[in-house]
Parts: sequence; structure tokens; C-alpha cells
Amino acid sequence: MSDSIFEKAIESIMEHDEEMALEAVKRHLDSGAEPMELMNKGFIVGISKVGDLFGSGKMFLPELMMAADVMLAASQALNQAMPLGSQSGYSGFHITAATVKGDIHDIGKGIGIALFRANGFTVHDLGRDVDTEAMIDDAVKNGSRVIATSALLTTTLGEQKKLEESLKKSGLKGKIRTMVAGAPVTPRWASRIGADIYAENAHEGVVGVTKVAKEG
Amino acid sequence: MRSAGDLVARVQLSKKLRIGEAKKYVADKLRVGVKELSDPVIMSEVRADLGFGIMMPLGGTPKGLECKFNIARVLDLDINCLNRFKRMAGL
Amino acid sequence: MSKIFTRMGDGSPLEMTESELRQDLEDGVAEAVEKAEVPPLSSDEIQYLVDLFKREDRIVGVEPGKEIVLSYDAATLKIKRHSLFEDRVNCLAIYERLLGADTLELCHVDYSYKPLKPIISYEQATMEQALAATHSPMFYGAMPNLGLYTQPDGPFPNPMELLPMGKIKEGRESYDRMVESAVEDICFIAEAMHESGADGINLDTVGASGDPDFKASLMATERIRAKFPDYGIEMGMAGEFVLGMHGEMFHDGTRLAGLYPRDQLRLAEKAGVSIFGPVVNTNANESVPWNLARTIAIIKPCSEEARIPIHANMGMGVGAVPVTDYPPVDVVSRASKAMVELCRLDGL
Repeated sequence: MSDSIFEKAIESIMEHDEEMALEAVKRHLDSGAEPMELMNKGFIVGISKVGDLFGSGKMFLPELMMAADVMLAASQALNQAMPLGSQSGYSGFHITAATVKGDIHDIGKGIGIALFRANGFTVHDLGRDVDTEAMIDDAVKNGSRVIATSALLTTTLGEQKKLEESLKKSGLKGKIRTMVAGAPVTPRWASRIGADIYAENAHEGVVGVTKVAKEG
Repeated sequence: MRSAGDLVARVQLSKKLRIGEAKKYVADKLRVGVKELSDPVIMSEVRADLGFGIMMPLGGTPKGLECKFNIARVLDLDINCLNRFKRMAGL
Repeated sequence: MSKIFTRMGDGSPLEMTESELRQDLEDGVAEAVEKAEVPPLSSDEIQYLVDLFKREDRIVGVEPGKEIVLSYDAATLKIKRHSLFEDRVNCLAIYERLLGADTLELCHVDYSYKPLKPIISYEQATMEQALAATHSPMFYGAMPNLGLYTQPDGPFPNPMELLPMGKIKEGRESYDRMVESAVEDICFIAEAMHESGADGINLDTVGASGDPDFKASLMATERIRAKFPDYGIEMGMAGEFVLGMHGEMFHDGTRLAGLYPRDQLRLAEKAGVSIFGPVVNTNANESVPWNLARTIAIIKPCSEEARIPIHANMGMGVGAVPVTDYPPVDVVSRASKAMVELCRLDGL
């Protein structure tokens, strides 16, 4: 397979150009190559670069959102070319995301969700100031494998611990994994409360959840 | 107030001076060495003599606004709340 | 060889060999060079940091003559946070006379400009009392906090809901309107506090809501400065770079999104800020040496270029201080000393 198609796929994500992405998919499939190869060597490389650029202030939220849309279109086009059950990406992997009760900060959560979606995950965004029971109810209803919470205040951190306790009480701990993020959240806190994934930033969140998704 | 940090900060704020210049400005006005500005023994004496406010202001020593009048005069600064005080007191 | 005691960015104790320490310092600098596009630290500066972390003293301090001023933001709020229900005027006197603060800041527990409007008369009365009872320069402080201007907490549609729906134009328009409202609110509070005699206004945690937040702060600064040429204006940032939530917001022809401290300073200085507070966020996954080297590399070009005083933010989660409510003095004092001595700061 020509490297130029992979480069076009990367460029299409970085330039959030859906037409270019779909053209790369078409050329790739017409050549008879494996659909997943383009996903792994092209689109995923592109979205990782977008994540890095956003993380260092060189790309901005609207561009990140547009890149996520192109990524979604590319995954759907590639999936159509694959046999049922062997589709690429993680669209079948659901995540419930929320800012914890008492906390109205939603910028970090929004960025995280954009990057999750860009990487093909299905995210149920419950918004901000959400209590733990509503998160668990949503996760059960949608079959979410991860509940991702953001807490931006030291005074609201305790809600993440409350979620762990509620999951244990309801027998769902382990079945539904937890991801914790937010300015005062640390690996030490995550480990103390028994959270499954700690995310310093949106990119780390994607890496952590992808690991869970790959476990099957 | 243990030494001269509040005075240097006041000069930084009102004259936008960086630390070296602000310290020199205060030291010159107080007629002390720059190094003495951070010495609590020397500065508590200077502050007491000039009525700038000290850490343990017992009876008969200037406090609060009274000290600010002294600070404004010696450091040649305009302090906003003193203008308000004069306005409110009809001075 | 004996190990060197230090900590991780979340405060956990950590022991390193000298070569591991040096490697972490160099890695921290490399990350700063790559992300913030700043020059690397010199080998002498790296050696200074190695020696600093090798010292066995629990607390370290700056060399005589290098003392700087110590300012506190949100002072009255921090007393309350410890469940000490002390009157705010007394809190400020405690900061000044017992805690070594060189500047004071009266603030309300909401710590945002928007909710202050309906209670400003009460805040003014407290400010007037506080000014009469204290001696140090007094700010009134709060955050622009543009997040409070979005529904359901404010009047405008939430861009964080519009953008994921692909409504980028609508999201940006909402940000534009939020900026206008925030500028009005900041100027209203600043003017009221000037009337009450405050020495200055502090715009704290600027940029927490991204480029619109910074834009509102710059515009408010220009308006306040034009009306009150002698009023103190302090601007403390929220993060090391301005998040591009809008992405197309400009000020004086400069795109605000993605600006690091040196470029933030240029705009703040031009707008009329009296004291600028740059920030570098602490990474909890890395060591304090890594964070400190990175922080110094990013702050130094800002401080070297400044014509106004620079009071870098040093506290929980910023300035290489660990992300913990109880920052240990061993690393806090090392970070403070190095920041002052290598960055030519004017205050912390």
C-alpha cells in the first residue's frame, strides 16, 4: 500500500477534511488492501497527532471537534467495507461521562468527550452537576463499560469516591470500570478510592479506556 | 510587616517597578540599605520611628489608616483609600 | 550511593539517584522546549537544580538580598476553607501580621465577578473597613469565570453543548456575547472597589474558560486602566497556555488561543496590567524535579522580558508545587528558591 494514502488519511484528520478522508478510504479499498490497515496507519495516527497538538495549545477545540467528525465519517466508511462483527473502532464500546455533583465545570469533560468520540467510542454525556445514581442508571441503561467523571474542585472530589462505593454496593464494581479526571485528581487519589483509570489529560483518558476496550 | 515587604509591594503596584528598582526606591526613601529592608530587627525600629505600623501595635502607636498617611508621605505615593478618607471626612 | 529524597507531582515521597534526578530535570526542560518553544536551561542551571535537590536541609531559602514580595490571592477564602469562621477583616489582619503576606486580597466565597453584582454594596462596606484596619496594599479579587455565563447558570447557550453538535458558529457567537457581559461585570466591580479605596483589582485564574476568558480580562483591563490610570491591576493566569475554546479570538491582532506566558505577558502589559502572574501546571505523573525544571524553562523567558513585576503562581498544582491540599515544605521551599533565583521573579 502506498504511504501517500496513509499520509492523506493523516492529513484529512489534521485538516478536518471529510472529502479527503473519504477519498483516502475509497482509494485504499479499491486497491484491495485491508480496511484496518488504513485505520491504524492513517486515521489513528492523525487523531493522535490532533490530541498532541491540542494538548500543547497548538490546535483548538473547534478544530478538535471537526477532526472528531471526520474521524467518525472515516470509521463508518471503513466499517461498511468489513464483514459484520469485525468492524474497526470502538463504536460498540459505551462510556458514560459526567462532571460530578456540586461541580459545574465542564470544559475538561467536553475536551475528553471530543477525543473519545474522535477515537470511535460512543459517549453518553450527562452534563455537569450529576449525582452518582444518575451515572450508574445511565451506564446500566446504555451498557456503558466505563463511567468517566470529572471533578474540578477539592470540595467535589469526594463524589468520585462516592461513585466507587455505590458501584460496590450495587455489585457493579469491576463490571463497570471508572475513570477519574480533573485538576485536583491525582494518581494517588485514584488509587486510594479504587478507581480503575486515572487521566492526567484527555489523551491519557483515551489511552486508559482503549486498554480496557482491548481487554474485551 | 515584619520587615518591608508591604512597602516594596506597594511601590511595585503603584509604580510598576520590578523588584530591584522597587527595593532601591523604598531603601532610598527610608534612608536604609537595600539589604536592611528584609531585616526584621532594623525594620521594626524604622517602622516604629516613622509610624508605618508594627506587628504588635500597643496603645498609643499609629494603626491602619494613620500609618498609611505616614507611608504615603515618606514614600511619596498616592494611596487610594486616603483620598476617600479625606473626601468622606470633609478634609 | 545514597538516594536523593524528593516527591512526585502528587506529593508522594520519591527517592532517586543523582543520575535519575539529572535525567528528570533534563526531560522536564526538553518537554518545555518542545511544547512552549522556549530556550533550554543552561548546564549551570541544571547543575544548580541538581545541587538544590541534593541538599539535605528540610527547608531552603533564597540567598540574602534576593528576597521578593509574597502576595496571596483569595486570602479570606482560604481561612474559610479551613473551617475557621473568622470575620474577613480579621482574616486580612491575620495574613498581614501573622502569616507574612505583603499584599492582601479581600474576596467573596463565590470568587467570581458575576455573582458579586447584587451584593457589591456589602462587599464595598467590608473593603472600606478592611482598608482602615490594615497596612498593606489591598486588592479586591475574583475570577472572570466565563463558565457562569452559560445556561443553566447564565443567559447564554453553552458552547460545550453547541460545539459537539457541530454548531461551531453558534458556539463562537455565544462566547462573543459572554465576553461582552463579563467585561461589563468586571469593570462594574473594579469601579465600585476603586470608589471604596481599594489599591487594586485582581483578575485571578484568567483563561480558566479558555481564550474568551483571557479576551474578557484584557478588554476589562484596558477599560479600567483608561478610567483609573493609577489603579493597581493584577492578572493571574489559570494555565500555562491559553486553551482555544473559541479558537478565532484575537486581541491587538494576536490570536489568544495557544499563547504561553511570554506572549500572554506582552498582551497583559500592553493592556495596562500592573502585576502579572504566569502559571505552569504541575503534572502529577512526573516528579517535582521534572516539573520544576519545566516550570523554570517556561517562566524564565516571560520574566526576563517583563517591564512590569512578575509574581509567578506557586501553590497547590502550579509552579511545580504538588497537587495536594498539604504541599510539603521540602519541595515548596525548593521550588520557590529556584523560581526566584533562576527566573528573576519579583514576587510569588
